[in-house]
Amino acid sequence: MTMNDPQQQQMIRDAMKAIAERRPGRTKLVYDKTKKTIVAVAEGSEPPRALNITADDADMFGVITLSGQWLRQEWHRLNGSASIAARFTSWDNGDAYTHYELGPQGGPTISECTIALERASEPAPRLRIVLTKVNAVGRAGNTFVATDGSIFVATAYEHQDGRDIPLDVTIAEVQPALSARRAGILETSVLSDRSALFIGLGTGGGYATIELAKCGVRRFALVDPDRLSVGNVVRHPGGISQVGRLKVHVIRDLILEKNPDAQVDVYPFAIAAENMDAIRPLVRAANVVICGTDNRPSKLLINQLCIEENVVAVYGGAFRRAYGGQVLRVQPRVSPCQQCFVSAMPEQAADVEISSPDEAEAIAYSDRPVAVEPGLSLDVLPIANFLTKLALLELLDGKPTSLDVLRRDYSAPWYLWLNRPESGTPYSGMPPLSDSSDEMTINRWYGVGFERDTACPACGDFLNVTAAAHGIDLDSVVIPSKV
Amino acid sequence: MWTSTQRTRLALEHQLLQVHEFTQFSVYHHAAGDTYSASGYASSNAGYKYHLYIPIPAGFPTQRPEMYVTEPNPLLMTGGVQINSLGVSHRMHALTPHACGWVQICHWRDNRWHSGIYLHQVFLKGLIWIEAYEQHISTGRDLADFVRTMAETA
Repeated sequence: MTMNDPQQQQMIRDAMKAIAERRPGRTKLVYDKTKKTIVAVAEGSEPPRALNITADDADMFGVITLSGQWLRQEWHRLNGSASIAARFTSWDNGDAYTHYELGPQGGPTISECTIALERASEPAPRLRIVLTKVNAVGRAGNTFVATDGSIFVATAYEHQDGRDIPLDVTIAEVQPALSARRAGILETSVLSDRSALFIGLGTGGGYATIELAKCGVRRFALVDPDRLSVGNVVRHPGGISQVGRLKVHVIRDLILEKNPDAQVDVYPFAIAAENMDAIRPLVRAANVVICGTDNRPSKLLINQLCIEENVVAVYGGAFRRAYGGQVLRVQPRVSPCQQCFVSAMPEQAADVEISSPDEAEAIAYSDRPVAVEPGLSLDVLPIANFLTKLALLELLDGKPTSLDVLRRDYSAPWYLWLNRPESGTPYSGMPPLSDSSDEMTINRWYGVGFERDTACPACGDFLNVTAAAHGIDLDSVVIPSKV
Repeated sequence: MWTSTQRTRLALEHQLLQVHEFTQFSVYHHAAGDTYSASGYASSNAGYKYHLYIPIPAGFPTQRPEMYVTEPNPLLMTGGVQINSLGVSHRMHALTPHACGWVQICHWRDNRWHSGIYLHQVFLKGLIWIEAYEQHISTGRDLADFVRTMAETA
């Protein structure tokens, strides 16, 4: 047997694949000291003077991943010519090549690759994927079914120093692969027609967007005027290489990294009264609004719009220094709204993080500055996670899902979470987690019920109730005119 | 621009000012630009008059209205320094001054405001600020010494 023996090459390929996947194979690789080369032998045979090759020895071959969807789109071009070109991001000094079309963010090094139908192209390009027609679909990830139903197996090579080095090739079918990990809990397309509007893309809001993208939500509208700063990086999903970009763009790309078919619309402006006309259609189009801002004016404006447009909103935020946090879900005119919450629990409503210079400036006087407070991402994420769960349940409203069993557990309007018994708070005297079974402790969610204010100025009959309480006939009031 | 709910709310606010005997203040409609304001002259215990002016913002009542002292203008501190020169000042409980130089009274900060607060409560804060201002003039002590940072009231 020589290396040119097709059967031996197939045995080597099978053995290498088994090694790479850390599974037993029918053949194993050995270094044949007599022949001074690597050969594949059937499991159980013991060739003389051979050195067994293990998975650790074999961890040196690169992988190349090509988009199956892209290949189908380009199939007519490939069928009509000897080859087509594709761009790949080269990672880790050639250890992995990822098709540039798979996601929104390529890496720093781009390599051109030639994709050919069996016919070898001369001279050999540096990267080459060859598609060989076969009769049946195999189990391997390198099988491709063309638009005309023809079946191909892909092999890939990197040409170096006059030699072709094989690469393990995967034809990635993105959506089926992504859905496979959700199926049974979230069916494939259950969230594909649902739309989420995100207000504020800080640590919590940013995290929630990405988690919903992983769940299969496909329509996102993102509103935030801020840019990612260096100081954000220890908390925000965006990294240091993204500093300076608008957060809506950073998060859009991260969503597309997790769900390439998502439709993401970005709105880099602030929530303010002068923008209400622009925001209203976004609220109207959403199945749920997720509000992660820490400033009250924007929360109250969103609250007003959501009530007027009858859209469920979930609000999440950390307390100061992220010692804990809260989540409020508002079902318009059914459960207490943000204004009801402010009226019923003013101290809790006012307990927010000061996590950015803008937030600090908003509450500071020039002669009494307010510092940005520390807060760990670790302490914000439980709140963001709960916020996402509530949003997910709202997005699933009316759809049959195994998550319906959670609705009894997520029935309260307001939820409280504590990360630590912070001094200076009502929770400083909590017993240790291990000592308590029914007292309040850290690391537990508490669902808290309170009544909607039927005379609420945002969601209730405030005008009539107040007028009646003061003996005022609203129909007879005339506001004086003034030039 | 204005919703019917906002117009009705402003009518209610006007009438509440009268009911609460803040009759020196009124809500006004300015037909030319279809805008609203609330204003009136406040008298201090010492007998001085101050004109308080609240332009009603488009987002009212969800959006916090600003309250200015338009007369006297400029408003001076002891020593003759104009209060508006301090900008946002804790010492004098003042927020960003108006382009015309009017002092903006800090009644509720944005992060404490909500739509359950009435204009007569805002004017009441204005009256308290004026009394504290006159104490500042009399004693030279900061206005903040006479009023607490305003806590949340639901």
